[in-house]
Formats: sequence, C-alpha cells, structure tokens
Amino acid sequence: MIISVENLAKKYDGYTALDGLNFTVEHGDIFGFLGPNGAGKTTTIRIMTAILKADSGNVLIDGHSIFGEPLAVKKIINAVPESNGYYEWMAACEYLEFFSHLYKEKISKQEVDKLLEIVGLHGKESHLIRSYSRGMRQRLGIARALINRPKLLFLDEPTNGLDPKGRRDIHDLLIDLNRDHDTTIFLSTHLLDDVERLCNRIAIINYGKIVRAGELDRMKGKGTIEDIFFLSTKEGTL
Amino acid sequence: MKKSILFLSMIFLAITANYATASAADRITASIDPPIIQANMGDKITYVGTITNNSDRAVTNIIAYISLANVTQGRESPMDLEDWSANKAIKVDTIPPHGTYKGQWPMRLIDSGSYVAYITVVDKNDNTPISSTMSRLEIKRVLRLNPNNVLPVAVGEPMIIGVILTFIVIRRRKRII
Amino acid sequence: MKIAYIMQKEIRESILTPKGFLWYAITSMILSVLSYLFLTNSELSLLDQGQMLYMIMNFITALGILIGLVFGADAFAGEIERGTLEALLLSPITKTEIATGKLGAALTNWGILFAISLPYLFVVGKGGQNLFVGIAYLALLGTFLAITFSAFSMGLSSRIKSVKNSLIISFFIFLLAGSPIFLSAAQRGTWFGRIIDFINPFAGAINTFDSVVIDSQGFGYQAGRVAIICGYTLLSLWFLKRSVSRLEM
Repeated sequence: MIISVENLAKKYDGYTALDGLNFTVEHGDIFGFLGPNGAGKTTTIRIMTAILKADSGNVLIDGHSIFGEPLAVKKIINAVPESNGYYEWMAACEYLEFFSHLYKEKISKQEVDKLLEIVGLHGKESHLIRSYSRGMRQRLGIARALINRPKLLFLDEPTNGLDPKGRRDIHDLLIDLNRDHDTTIFLSTHLLDDVERLCNRIAIINYGKIVRAGELDRMKGKGTIEDIFFLSTKEGTL
Repeated sequence: MKKSILFLSMIFLAITANYATASAADRITASIDPPIIQANMGDKITYVGTITNNSDRAVTNIIAYISLANVTQGRESPMDLEDWSANKAIKVDTIPPHGTYKGQWPMRLIDSGSYVAYITVVDKNDNTPISSTMSRLEIKRVLRLNPNNVLPVAVGEPMIIGVILTFIVIRRRKRII
Repeated sequence: MKIAYIMQKEIRESILTPKGFLWYAITSMILSVLSYLFLTNSELSLLDQGQMLYMIMNFITALGILIGLVFGADAFAGEIERGTLEALLLSPITKTEIATGKLGAALTNWGILFAISLPYLFVVGKGGQNLFVGIAYLALLGTFLAITFSAFSMGLSSRIKSVKNSLIISFFIFLLAGSPIFLSAAQRGTWFGRIIDFINPFAGAINTFDSVVIDSQGFGYQAGRVAIICGYTLLSLWFLKRSVSRLEM
C-alpha cells in the first residue's frame, strides 16, 4: 500500500476536525476521498502532505512516516492544493523552473515544454500567469505537481469552478497519468460525477471519521454513488 | 556741631561713592580687537580681548565673555552664539597689578549681515560689569552652487536610478500578457 | 542552493520591479535634496561636516529599518493571502530555508540602499573627519539592524498571517525604535531616556554614529553598544526560526 492512515486526530481551537481516521490506499489507485463541506478532507490532505501537524495518529506514505521523514515524503509526492495561488508576475516556464530548482538542480527547457504539453499548455509557456484562465491555472498547477514525477499525487477539488470541457480535460489528464505513468492519485472532492468517472476506490468522510470505504463498484451495487453518499452522510448516521 | 558732622559725612560718602563707582570702571578696562572685520559666511575669525588691571592690587576670578548683536536693518536682535563659538566665556584666575590678560575668542561666521561684537568683564567684587568698545563685523553672503562637487551626485544618481527604473518598466511591458 | 533560489525569486518579486525601484528613486531624490541643502544652504552648509555625515547616516539607517519591516510583514502573511505558500511548503524545502532565502532578499534591499547612500556620504563628508570609519560603522550596524528588524517582522508575519496586522505592528515597532528622535536632549538625559537609549538598538546605533563621527571615539568606547545590537540580532533570528517552525496552513 502507498498510504496508510491510522487513528489520525486533529483539533482546531476545541473543534474536532479529524476524529481517529483510518484508511489505506493501494499503489495504482485513483482514490476518491469524498465528504460534505467541513468534513475534514482538506485537513487530511494537508496532514498527509506534511504541511499540517496532526495531534495524534500515524501516516505512512510508501513506508515513510510523514512525521519522522517529511522531506523524504515530499520528494515522492506532490499536490495541487485547494488554495492554488500562483506567482502571477512569472511566466509559466519560469514558474515551473523555479519549483524544479526546489526538487532538483536543473530542469531543461525541453522538460518544461514537455510538462506543459502534457497538461495542454503547449505554446503558452512565455505567457504571464496573470493572463491565464482558471482552467489554465489548474493545468499549470498539475504541471507543477508533476515536476518530480511523483508516485503519489494529491488533488484537492481540482475541477472546482471549471466549465464542463475544462473538467473533462482534467479528467482525461488524470486518467492518462494513472495509466501511462503509474501515478497513484488521491482525489478529494465533493463532486460525485468526478468520482464516478475517475475513481476505482473511495472513502467517505463525515465529521472527521471514515463512514464508508472500499471499491466503488462493489459499494454501488445496483444503486448510484449519490445513494451511497447521501446515505453515508445523513445526519445521525454516525 | 551735629550739623557739621552730618554735612562732612555726606561729603565723605559722596566722594567715596563716586570713587567706588569710578574705581570699578577704572580698575579694570577691556578692549576688543580688531575694531572692524569684513569677512564671508563660513570664514573663521578670532577676536582678541585685552583685559587690563589698572589698579595696585591683583584681580582674581574674573569672567570675560563675548557678545554679538545683529544690527542689520530690520533684523536687529541679540545673537545666540551656540553655533558660532565654542568658548563664549573665559574665566581668568588672576591679573597682577597693572597687568593685562589677552583672551582669544575664535568664531565661525554662520550667517550674513551687520553685527557688533564686544567683550564684557565681570568681577564679583564690583557692582558694575565692564564692557569694551564694539567691534564692527560685516559678513557677506557667499553663494555656492557646487561645493564638494555635490551636483554630479545630486543630479546624476537619481537620473541613473530613473534610467534603470525605466528599463525595468519597459522590460515588464514587453512580456506577454 | 534552494535558499539561493528562494532569494532570487524574492528579489525578482520585490526588488527588480517598478514599485521596488521606486523606493530607491525616492530615496535617492531625498538624499540629493538633503546633501545639496547641507552643502549650499546658508545656515545648513555651516554645520560641521561630521554633523552632516551623522544626519545622513541616521536617515539611511532609519530607512533601512523601515523597508525591512515592510518587506518582512509581507514575507509569509503575503504568501498566505495570495495562496502561494502552500505550494512552497509542499516542496522538499524546510521552513527555515524559506525564511533564510527571504531574509537574504531583505538584506539585498539594505545592501542596495547602502550602495545608493555611498556617493552622498562621500560628497557630504569629503574633507571632514571620520568619513571612512563612519561608513564602516554604517555598514556594520546598518546590516545588524536590517537583519534584526526584518527577521522580527518576518517572524511576526508568520505568526499573525495577516499583512495588514503585521504592517500595523511593524509601524508601531518603527515608531518605538525611532522614539529617540522625539525626545529632547534633556529628556534623553533622564533615567527614562537613558533606559530607552540602552534597550533600543536604533538608539544604540545613532549614539554610536555620534560617538564615532562627531566625537572620534574608538571601538572600545562602542563595544558595549555594538554587543547589545548583536544581541538583538541573535534574538530576532531565534524568534524568526521559532516562529516559522510553528508555521502551518
């Protein structure tokens, strides 16, 4: 398994964000992490990407403890966070070059061009990020997240605010990444369509706890994903 | 008899009082040199004050200081010598009988105009301070447009930075938006 | 090397920009007016040259502190508000390395200010006393103060996470540090004034400049004040390290 989360807990000023979270993710999964707003999805991702400390529990990423070896973990993962801000004064190629230097010493122009081509931004490398549309920025964020060819890619609401074409393009990109580059994808979203199209396994979080987890097709049975979701997140379910 | 004694006492007092008044002024005299100075702003000059003890006894612990007054038409006022002179007052321990003391008062001429300078001597044993005559001081204004070569720096440096700034702005605008 | 890339990014973002260079242009114009007035104005030109040098050194130091405080206030809080910090934190770079890179950029700012001031110092101090030793002390103490106030402001920025509030506190700190200017000579001689002078690193610096440039005192005389300023520098660096280590999204 590539992710192992055990008894993860986190409180903010007395409010319990995560309450003993437990789940695993296998290599090669496109794993959907669902939940209503405020369920704890972003908190979970931030802990797993070592930018937030948990109060208790354990997280192993590809065998490395996130708390003991955060730098080692960061070298094999990457993420497109929900609050995806950019250095708007930079051109796209400059942006990727800057982040590449934080992972390794040099990145060639060819590698930059290839990354931008993968995400569909070929020909826009010299444009300032300021001029990019929302969809283009999301793609650029994914390009940045691919700089270190991560084994594990976290995406937090990656299609929020995109038009249907934009969403479809992102979907196709993620499927290609998973299939052709063997990248495990951890997708946090509340958009059930995205989950339906992309994920093979899911976990549903509510009030900081996993309420349901497993293979999507098996969980759906003869119902729909909406059925599973609303049933799992109904008030009083816990 | 009583009237005679009273009359003689009054004459005696008048004579001694007059003598006392005269003695302070005559016992010590002060003078200032040079009597006239014409100079430019920024110049450094030195006044020499001569204090003469005209009496048969030594004078001790007297204080001599220099004063300056602005007598320029419309700007008459006493001057604060804070920036003009470091040592405005001198204490003289002793001047022997019929001896003299020469004190020096260096001064930097801060502002233009017409001035008078004089030395005043104070002896705590007397009732009246003693002043010298006044020395006339004419200070001319000097216009300096480029002292220390300030203009090349004062004008040149902002221009250079302005050029760099313009270059940065142009370079920014050329980037594709 | 990662620190160098962070520093390079910061310099490109804050210094090599029209807004960044406008600060330098304004500084240069103020210094031009000051130095020209000092040397040509009827009364100002007769100030002792050491006095002129001292006044320009104070101005540059105060400006260095102010720019350091403003730069520091935006360092982390600005990145959080613009949403760019998370991507940085995701990268395999420690928070201390990020802070060091940003501090390096703040110091670059000071270095440019100091370089801009040099021609003015030479022109105003030419022929006067203690010009070179004065410049050396400005370089030394100005650098320490730039580090002190930038590091403190950056630490504050990482804790408060709001640019506006960081700036308000930074300006307040600047006024406190500049308080010697508002006290009269008589007030500074009181026990209260002496305490302020003793604990205030900016006051320590300007007293040192006075002592070196105007009174021609040697290093032995300044050693105590320099040591206190160094102490503040170390304290502010410790505060910065501690603050960023606790930084979380």
